[in-house]
Amino acid sequence: MHAYANPTRFLAIARPLTPWLLGLGTVLLLAGAWAGLAVVPGEAKQGETARILYVHVPAAWLGMGGWTALAVSGLVQLVWRHPLAGIAARAIAVPGMLFTALCLATGSIWGKPTWGTWWEWDGRMTSMLVLLFLYAGFIALTMGDTGGNGGQRQGGSLSRGAAVYALVGAINIPIINRSVVWWNSLHQGPSITVRGSSIDGALLWPLGLTLLGFSFLFGAIVLMRMRRIIADNRVAARLRRLADDEGSGV
Amino acid sequence: MTGVISGSGQWAYVVAAYALTALLIAAVLGHSWRAMRKAERRSDALRRDRT
Repeated sequence: MHAYANPTRFLAIARPLTPWLLGLGTVLLLAGAWAGLAVVPGEAKQGETARILYVHVPAAWLGMGGWTALAVSGLVQLVWRHPLAGIAARAIAVPGMLFTALCLATGSIWGKPTWGTWWEWDGRMTSMLVLLFLYAGFIALTMGDTGGNGGQRQGGSLSRGAAVYALVGAINIPIINRSVVWWNSLHQGPSITVRGSSIDGALLWPLGLTLLGFSFLFGAIVLMRMRRIIADNRVAARLRRLADDEGSGV
Repeated sequence: MTGVISGSGQWAYVVAAYALTALLIAAVLGHSWRAMRKAERRSDALRRDRT
């Protein structure tokens, strides 16, 4: 892993990978959305609204997966001082927050025709809302994280406080996951587990397509944001060198 | 159940969820792409000036 700590080595992989992730993600997402809207039948009890599953579930998984990756990046930065870990954490925060917001919004849209309400303060929805606030807090924390270079620390690294915040926030992930088991909820129980799925295969397969499509697009967004941070860091470093040269009369 | 919507009225909610998804993903993709290109162009231009 440390072999890729060098941003130049990382960019040699990220540059060709970005368009592939973008292209594949778009194709898979469009195919999954088309299958979810036009190919599979409506669900027996919920009718057509069950089709929201194909965008709601991947958004939820990526919102939670995003914070897990953010916490791992925080840990890697704290323990190994990996130069790319802080950059990765910063790059993950905005798409992670977006997919969490998307999960809440599509869940609310699904809730109205199914439960008769847009919102309910139950365990699953409240813990997901807490995740959205955690992302907002992390973004605010890292934006104001020392001055210069658009609010970024030198080299794009995280402050110790931001890295610890990312780790502490990870406690919310198992709470979200188990919320429908621990507390009474309007939200359905876990329908996809490591032991299998309670959803019929005829309705399940488009979820695989949209899940892969969302994941590839999430990866493309993270790579693009990492590339931007690395480019900004290089500009800042060059400007510093230029200023030093001029200051020393070179 | 009070407020539950069935039949063809459900499609409006399905379309709203998919449209919101498409809009948000397209917005963040477009913003990330433009910001990346702008930063990399600036970095490349500065490197060319130095050489």
